[in-house]
Amino acid sequence: MHHKILFSGPVGAGKTTAIAAISDVTPVVTEARARDRTRLMKPHTTVAMDYGVMELEGGDKVHLYGTPGQPRFDFMWEILAEGGLGIILLIDNSAADAMYRLRHFLDAFDEVIRRTSLVVGITKMDLAPTPTLADYSERLEQAGIRAPVLEVDARSADDVALLIEALLYTIDPGLDAGDPRAETAQ
Amino acid sequence: MRAEQLNAILRKLSATSGEVEAAAIISTDGLVMASYVPEGIDDDRLGAMSAAMLSLGERAALELGRGELEQVLVKGKKGFIILVHAGPDAVLTVLTSQTARLGLIFLDVKRTAAEVARLI
Ligand SMILES: Nc1nc2c(ncn2[C@@H]2O[C@H](COP(=O)(O)OP(=O)(O)OP(=O)(O)O)[C@@H](O)[C@H]2O)c(=O)[nH]1
Ligand SMILES: [Mg+2]
Repeated sequence: MHHKILFSGPVGAGKTTAIAAISDVTPVVTEARARDRTRLMKPHTTVAMDYGVMELEGGDKVHLYGTPGQPRFDFMWEILAEGGLGIILLIDNSAADAMYRLRHFLDAFDEVIRRTSLVVGITKMDLAPTPTLADYSERLEQAGIRAPVLEVDARSADDVALLIEALLYTIDPGLDAGDPRAETAQ
Repeated sequence: MRAEQLNAILRKLSATSGEVEAAAIISTDGLVMASYVPEGIDDDRLGAMSAAMLSLGERAALELGRGELEQVLVKGKKGFIILVHAGPDAVLTVLTSQTARLGLIFLDVKRTAAEVARLI
């Protein structure tokens, strides 16, 4: 079986980092040198997509696609969302407008979220403790969306594995994804 | 001013052939540095799409064993889109009519890209 999962969320949330952390193969990346305000945060930014693959315990393959975070590349959001089982939204908690950014991505992916499943991963909580996970859950509730919200470090394969597990479980509570890292951890 | 020089280069490219309908110079992260586009084409959109396509073309050419990217060519019923690097940090995008004689245009595009690369 092949599954497709989409990673999205604003610039610098850690989409490229997360896919690189968990992928079994060297990911396909499309990083370009940042010329706009992004360069104050990091030297490169995604302009088309990230792609990686992860094998589950039972042999199923999960194809991981990452979007660019910058709104000018939003045409890629639609293209990449096609055929996905669900979406993982990463939000950088250290951004001053983190809550607003979540709203923006909930709106942009509204159709996908309602049709498939959503898990929200809050990154960089080590740099900024607020807003809290409860704040995000409340915001989701207001939008009429039920989705797990987890604290993650996009650099940690274990954290990213947890996000994927949560998503697969949300899609099918009966599905035993096992520990997606079990194979590589041995 | 560099932007003016870039604009002059684009005007020259479109003047050499009536088949060139639009041209733009874009940073590899999708920001328009100079453009010569008709009404009806949003140049911010053109910029972002150019950066995405060039980047994907580059990865595909390398990973599928076609070597370093020379150009990306898209053919639609109403014309062509040609994308080439103009130095390592910029993209030259050219839109042509469907009657364009590609051989000649490729030459012009290549020459223009080299000129742009020297400038930035
Ligand atoms: N301190 C800290 N840094 C993190 C955490 N998660 C990710 N990072 C860092 O944040 C940066 C994220 O960069 P990218 O992975 O390029 O972000 P992106 O979401 O792909 O961004 P765009 O492609 O530009 O939209 C990297 O430098 C990571 O090392 C975290 O939990 N804590
Ligand atoms: Mg990225």
